[in-house]
Amino acid sequence: MDDKGWSLKGSLLPLLLLVSDLLLCQGVTSLPICPTGAVNCQVSLRDLFDRAVILSHYIHNLSSEMFNEFDKKYAQGRGFITKAINSCHTSSLSTPEDKEQAQQIHHEDLLNLILRVLRSWNDPLYHLVSEVRRMQEAPDSMLSRAIEIEEQNRRLLEGMEKIVGQVHPGVRENEVYSIWSGLPSLQMADEDSRLFAFYNLLHCLRRDSHKIDNYLKLLKCRIVYDSNC
Amino acid sequence: MRAAGPTGMDLWQVLLTLAVAGSSNAVSGSEATPAILGRASQSLQRVNPGPGTNSSGKPQFTKCRSPELETFSCHWTDGINHGLKNPGSIQLFYIRRNTQEWTQEWKECPDYVSAGENSCYFNSSYTSIWIPYCIKLTSNGGMVDQKCFSVEEIVQPDPPIGLNWTLLNVSLTGIHADIQVRWEPPPNADVRKGWIVLEYELQYKEVNESQWKMMDPVRSTSVPVYSLRLDKEYEVRVRSRQRNSEKYGEFSEALYVALPQMSPFACEEDFPFPWFLIIIFGIFGLTMILFLFIFSKQQRIKMLILPPVPVPKIKGIDPDLLKEGKLEEVNTILAIHDNYKPEFYNDDSWVEFIELDIDDPEEKTEGSDTDRLLSSDHEKSLNILGAKDDDSGRTSCYEPDLLETDFNASDVCDSTSEVAQPQRLKGEVDLLCLDQKSQNNSPSADTAPTTQQPSVILAKEDKTRPLLISGSESTHQAAHPQLSNPSSLANIDFYAQVSDITPAGSVVLSPGQKNKAGMSPCDSPPEVVSLCQANFIMDSAYFCEADAKKCITVAPPVEAESRAEPSFNQEDIYITTESLTTTAGQSGTAELAPSSERPVPDYTSIHIVQSPRGLVLNATALPLPDKEFLSSCGYVSTDQLNKIMP
Repeated sequence: MDDKGWSLKGSLLPLLLLVSDLLLCQGVTSLPICPTGAVNCQVSLRDLFDRAVILSHYIHNLSSEMFNEFDKKYAQGRGFITKAINSCHTSSLSTPEDKEQAQQIHHEDLLNLILRVLRSWNDPLYHLVSEVRRMQEAPDSMLSRAIEIEEQNRRLLEGMEKIVGQVHPGVRENEVYSIWSGLPSLQMADEDSRLFAFYNLLHCLRRDSHKIDNYLKLLKCRIVYDSNC
Repeated sequence: MRAAGPTGMDLWQVLLTLAVAGSSNAVSGSEATPAILGRASQSLQRVNPGPGTNSSGKPQFTKCRSPELETFSCHWTDGINHGLKNPGSIQLFYIRRNTQEWTQEWKECPDYVSAGENSCYFNSSYTSIWIPYCIKLTSNGGMVDQKCFSVEEIVQPDPPIGLNWTLLNVSLTGIHADIQVRWEPPPNADVRKGWIVLEYELQYKEVNESQWKMMDPVRSTSVPVYSLRLDKEYEVRVRSRQRNSEKYGEFSEALYVALPQMSPFACEEDFPFPWFLIIIFGIFGLTMILFLFIFSKQQRIKMLILPPVPVPKIKGIDPDLLKEGKLEEVNTILAIHDNYKPEFYNDDSWVEFIELDIDDPEEKTEGSDTDRLLSSDHEKSLNILGAKDDDSGRTSCYEPDLLETDFNASDVCDSTSEVAQPQRLKGEVDLLCLDQKSQNNSPSADTAPTTQQPSVILAKEDKTRPLLISGSESTHQAAHPQLSNPSSLANIDFYAQVSDITPAGSVVLSPGQKNKAGMSPCDSPPEVVSLCQANFIMDSAYFCEADAKKCITVAPPVEAESRAEPSFNQEDIYITTESLTTTAGQSGTAELAPSSERPVPDYTSIHIVQSPRGLVLNATALPLPDKEFLSSCGYVSTDQLNKIMP
């Protein structure tokens, strides 16, 4: 996924430069980028959202694949599925649970929620990568996916912060997020418990990535296309 | 009828038990669940997981489905003994997790009707996405089936509606056509607000076919279908699924595509691809090409198939040398070979002809290279060099004496023979210029003193004598006494590279140097010395006699003498092209040098091999090489020669 153009400098520049940069940024058929070092080059909100949606979709794809792979490889016959109805660490964040709630919530709040969820996953993803690395017989694809997810999550977080900066400038909420305390269970000596911890984490990841993806698509249609995708 | 295979159902049953058991762990203080668990496990054990579970007659969940991520419904089967059992005793209960806690109680299905028979419909108020649900089926109070899921996992959209098609274009042959198929997303999926994002899959087939052709999933609601035959009729259908999901919804109704009739002017029959003709003509063409190739390149093919055994032309290291253990010589040989370009000799037929086979034992003591070359010692030298094959041409670079004596690197055909420099310098020609040259290459203590003296003559008896395929004996001898040493004027040019040998036996040397014989020793006055130094173009391998002459302020008589001789020996002397350039910038003294008389060809073929020390050269004018070539001071190193040689 592209992460070009996340650079957004906020210095003052003559209007001419701004306009020319805007034209530059929007003239490219592919995702427009700001020339490196360009100040005050604003990627349009539409493009920011497009990229965010692409990223979130990608992350959800990866999570699903990773979950399926883990399920097939390790979880068969262990009865994890049902046990994984355990809560995820992000459940404490009160996110809208259906369409009505999502439509009623103000988009700024929704954006902040998304940010919170994304931030909450920084730590678990980091540990997921290191633990998958340590896991014996972990397939390479799983590790590469984990690494990719972690990286894309960071990018998405950056992008979301930019979007928030454009949509809701000036307000910067405190960095609220849920703490993840599942690291000890990922490192347990008992293989069953450890695998179940992985399963749970991947299940939660898939769920949350779907949530983020949905919210973002909703927001994109609402903000950029005025509810007319 | 089952959503999953028998194995899946078995797994589900096992897991259902454990699900409740597991969920009970997370629930704080739920006493009800263990009881449920117990019953669940029993029922699960009774419910035999395996094919034909239905035969046991137990109601089971078939599938749960949410078409638009806002509602969902679950369906089950009644069991075989439908109707015989108490109808209506089947109940569905659900439980869902609310913010980390399971609600304590199982709630009953809110709507048994809307989704049809044996189903339970959960409308949007009962539906929460991303929340785990568990449902259970009870019959007469006893649980018969249980299932846990999340709503976003069971999304299967409705089929698209409003299929229609339009003709895009008809091919020129009038046989094929392209159409564009359009549809609308299912009405209950809120695509406009972006709540759900769908992708579609189109399938089409001919009406009387049985196999549907599939196209790749698309995100848009219209897709072109290419290359449909006009004389056939087609059916098209579309189905949708949520992006990132795997399960598709149901297919839409098949759209019937009636293409316009083929015009009578169209080709009657589609021209089948003429495989047969192509193969025939292809083989024919290839055969033709092959024959052409063979006949035109007979010679080359013969060479390819039966390559001629190459005659060894490159001087290698004589294995005897290795046996004898003369590592030093081996090393020196290798050092020579380092820069030596064997290709130089490869195609030169003359290489096979040269044979300097002159016996003169006296020469050896004098130590001039020429002498050695022409002396009988060369046999030994030849052996040393491993040139057992008389085919190999021997240039002045390969001076057998080099092996025995100090290595006169300057004699080597290129300039990088600094290895031998120190050795060589001892026996350096004492001509000032020569010394200077050597000084340029590698200043050595030996030469240092000599260079300062205009007329230093190296007294050392060291051998390295520049090969001098000089002219007559007389010149050589004349030159010889003048110099106390190998450093005779004749030796100014260290080595003349034999560059060609005519079939007649003459040796063409390159670059010819005119009139090296009979030159007086380097008596040049200091200014000439400086001139020498300045003009010295260092090609370390060779040294221009012309340059040497510059340094030498030869007394006119000497010059005349030498001039006389050169003129006499015009034919004997190999001619240098360098003389042109060097003489151009030379002072008058230099001009006296015979080398300035006329344009000197690079190579002069040896007209006669005067034994034992004379080579009569033909004064053939050869085309002059580039200036660049000339800059090498008359002597051509092998690589330079390669540049100009074809």
